[in-house]
Amino acid sequence: MEEAVMEKTEFEPTIIAFCCNWCAYAGADLAGTSRFEYPTNVRIIRVMCTGRIDPTIILSAFRSGADGVLIAGCHPGDCHYVKGNYAMERRFNFLKDILKHLGIEPERLILEWVSAAEGGKFAALIRNVTKQIKDLGPNPLKRQ
Amino acid sequence: MSEPKKLKKLSKRTDAAIEALKTQRLRWVMGISQVGVKIDEDRYHAVVDNITKDEIERQMIIGAIKEKGPMTIKELSEATDIPPDQILRHIIALRKAGTVSEAGEKERGYLYTVL
Repeated sequence: MEEAVMEKTEFEPTIIAFCCNWCAYAGADLAGTSRFEYPTNVRIIRVMCTGRIDPTIILSAFRSGADGVLIAGCHPGDCHYVKGNYAMERRFNFLKDILKHLGIEPERLILEWVSAAEGGKFAALIRNVTKQIKDLGPNPLKRQ
Repeated sequence: MSEPKKLKKLSKRTDAAIEALKTQRLRWVMGISQVGVKIDEDRYHAVVDNITKDEIERQMIIGAIKEKGPMTIKELSEATDIPPDQILRHIIALRKAGTVSEAGEKERGYLYTVL
């Protein structure tokens, strides 16, 4: 009985997902209406464009204890604002470097392209990301 | 280092990184303009000057090595008229980028070559 009580509860990560209004958010919507299942670890924040996400916000998410941050935007060439996703990609590489400098695993930050028609891809992406973050363990900043 | 101490250090570093991302210098590099913030002309020119100067000096070092073969820091300084401490700084950066590497020793110093 004791063992059953003491059973180690599995680590459940908190993942912040920034989804662009025009593609990824619509993809998430489609995943919902199509009844695709995906883990509940993800907290979706809708932004108008991935290019509008300030890098400080992403670092602040980690600082506040997010185990992973997912940025999902339009496919290259499909940005509603023409080149917002390219701007994000540039910042993404920069942020990965900063995370490496800080000693936080850069794999915790994920950038993916999801179109409005890819509900299945969105669900699969969340499943993969959740597994990936679970394998990494909790964010070292979380315990504070 | 104990766990709480490590955590405190990491938190401080992360806070510093968040602040660093707000600085104009990093925002220019990332291609983010701040709406409503007027760019300080002097500082902008100072940053651009620094970057350009560094890039020019690095290309001078690479050119000198390509021309005369592997050289030590002292020789590079003489060939390019750049002070040795600056040469060392550039060599460290170029080595990190995988552009130059050591190629033997000479007079108690390393010889550097372009890859």
